[in-house]
Amino acid sequence: MTILEVAKKLKAEVLVEGDAVADAIGYVVASDLMSDVLLVDEDEILLLTSLASDQVLRTGHIVGAVGVIVINGKSLPSSMVKVARDLGMTLVKCDKSQYQACIAVSEALKSA
Amino acid sequence: MNEKLNKEILSKASISKKVDHGTEPLVLVEMIQRLKVRDVMTTTLATVERAAPLSDVQALMKAKQISGVPVEEGGRFLGLVTINDIIRALEGGYIDETCQKHMSTKLVVLEDDMPLSFALRYFEKYHFGRFPVINREQKLVGIICQRDINRALLLELTNELNRLESESSHYKVPEGPFNLYVLREFPVSKFDFENAGKAANKVKQLLKEKKFPAKIIRRIAVAAYELEINLCVHSDGGSLSWQLSNGRAEIIAHDSGPGIADVEWALKDGNSTASEWIRSFGFGAGMGLVNVKRVSDEFEIESTVGLGTRVKAVIYINPDAKR
Repeated sequence: MTILEVAKKLKAEVLVEGDAVADAIGYVVASDLMSDVLLVDEDEILLLTSLASDQVLRTGHIVGAVGVIVINGKSLPSSMVKVARDLGMTLVKCDKSQYQACIAVSEALKSA
Repeated sequence: MNEKLNKEILSKASISKKVDHGTEPLVLVEMIQRLKVRDVMTTTLATVERAAPLSDVQALMKAKQISGVPVEEGGRFLGLVTINDIIRALEGGYIDETCQKHMSTKLVVLEDDMPLSFALRYFEKYHFGRFPVINREQKLVGIICQRDINRALLLELTNELNRLESESSHYKVPEGPFNLYVLREFPVSKFDFENAGKAANKVKQLLKEKKFPAKIIRRIAVAAYELEINLCVHSDGGSLSWQLSNGRAEIIAHDSGPGIADVEWALKDGNSTASEWIRSFGFGAGMGLVNVKRVSDEFEIESTVGLGTRVKAVIYINPDAKR
């Protein structure tokens, strides 16, 4: 399942389609602590976070994430779209809480 | 940067560069040692005889756009009339008098086989605009001024650049990521969260373009990113440099303070001095250095409170890269 398919299930808004938009998700990390994200050794990570900052995208890029979904309906700084485009990262905005988003992603991945 | 280390580097650099003045690049030092005065001086001389009036010298200076005219007779160098002598003659109303009467005879001269460095020292010492040049037979063979030196050095530097360009075009770098050589340095400012991470992102993009193995890219990128964020979060500012050579990636973060009081403590999981504000950016969990160490094949840290910290992480791209 790709990040675009997950976004559809979450009824989330896709702001930027990046280089790995068609790649299958290999692992999901839900965290607001980028230090923790950097410790994950999995590939094709989908990152769910309620942090709305450029650093989320930079961290996602470093760990080779397929994309970032910013949850909790956070309003995104305009710089995030530009950084996502520069880094080729898919950026999605979602109104669900972290708990709801995690359940929805889990169900979507199980059904895939 | 750690001031102690900085001083050490500077002192090493100054030792290696120091020949006369200690500040010129090595290539220039070598050049001014290699070139002789005869290579630089002007040899087509405008001279006058001692009986010539100073007004003739004035006309000659104007026509040739020069500021000093040697007085010579029968191949013998007798003296020099400078622009200052002419000004004095005009002010004193004796411009029609002979050169013999007013020329400078207490002269400092250079010999044509002296190295150019010697001539530079003379310019620095005497503050003259020019020096007559004589050969071993004490005959006047030229005159040298700062303009001649500038022209000669520019010419030599151009030749040197051409030589280097020609050499590099003949040298073919073997293909493949293991043979790639890259050196980059990025400044990192304190609390500059807008830009923190950009350097590591650039590192990763380059490695991806060069088709390095994904696992290696990840380790290098994580080390670079953690160190960059550390500089932003914990230091007073510093720089992140990374180098790819001989199948190794070396990432060095150095800063000018404040330094870590207890390095062992800082290397333990979860220990951090980061504030809540920094944690609100998703960092400061005390995992940065631990993570750098985890992804590195070699890890070094040295820190002095008040001076700064230097962290070096090495990742072997080629398994044979271990030193």
